[in-house]
Amino acid sequence: MTLALLALAAHYVRAIQYTPVEATQGMAQKIFYVHVPAAWSAFLAYGIVGLCSALFLWLHDRRLDLFAEASAEVGTVLTFIVLTTGPLWGKPIWGTWWQWEVRLTSTLFLFFLFVGYLTLRRSVYDPLERARYSAVVGILGAMLVPFIHLSVWMFRTIHPKPIILKPDGPSLPGSMLSTLLEGFAIFTVLYLGMVMVRYGIGRLQEEKEARHAAAS
Amino acid sequence: MLLRVEPPANGQYMVAAYVLVAVVLLIYAVTLVVRARGLVKEVVE
Repeated sequence: MTLALLALAAHYVRAIQYTPVEATQGMAQKIFYVHVPAAWSAFLAYGIVGLCSALFLWLHDRRLDLFAEASAEVGTVLTFIVLTTGPLWGKPIWGTWWQWEVRLTSTLFLFFLFVGYLTLRRSVYDPLERARYSAVVGILGAMLVPFIHLSVWMFRTIHPKPIILKPDGPSLPGSMLSTLLEGFAIFTVLYLGMVMVRYGIGRLQEEKEARHAAAS
Repeated sequence: MLLRVEPPANGQYMVAAYVLVAVVLLIYAVTLVVRARGLVKEVVE
């Protein structure tokens, strides 16, 4: 996690100093190098929540539930980054901080859905019930992710279409593409580092609750 | 004749976004470490 945070600092230097400035958008376009990787890692996090939740309902392994919880929390932090860096990019380019269009609005709903998921976990006392209820919400939340990715093709929207994950391949100059790919790698490692620490916290919390239950 | 277009001067938005990302991630990372240390202490004791 520490290593990934240091790599993020190096990524900033590369994006600001060694990556060309886009001619029409200026320096504000460099928000792209954190906004898109943050969105990628948030979607990865929610995908893993969905996967772990489905596997939990099948295998009933408590570790899968704890990993889903960890991934949901990290994903929510990353979505907060997406939802705040987006308007900072939108204001100078679109002339507005926010538009109630499908990509932005559905991402905001996804954020609220996972805030609800985390709140639900704190409101159900029984660990097995908590795991079952949150697994269902986690799967439904993860199902929103492909819809959000495809929404820019399905609806008329102000949000740009993907320039990496599209049928005819990436359409970026090499110098910008390599900085973006570096961002993807750093945010993925950052996600993995944070999710592992958060998973460890979940295991410790569970052990503490088990000891309290045994003592009382 | 080629026309050279100067990019707009909007670096303040980039700086705000980069600072925001760093601050959010640092706060979350420190929170995780503090929570983990506290729990380790509680469980060991």
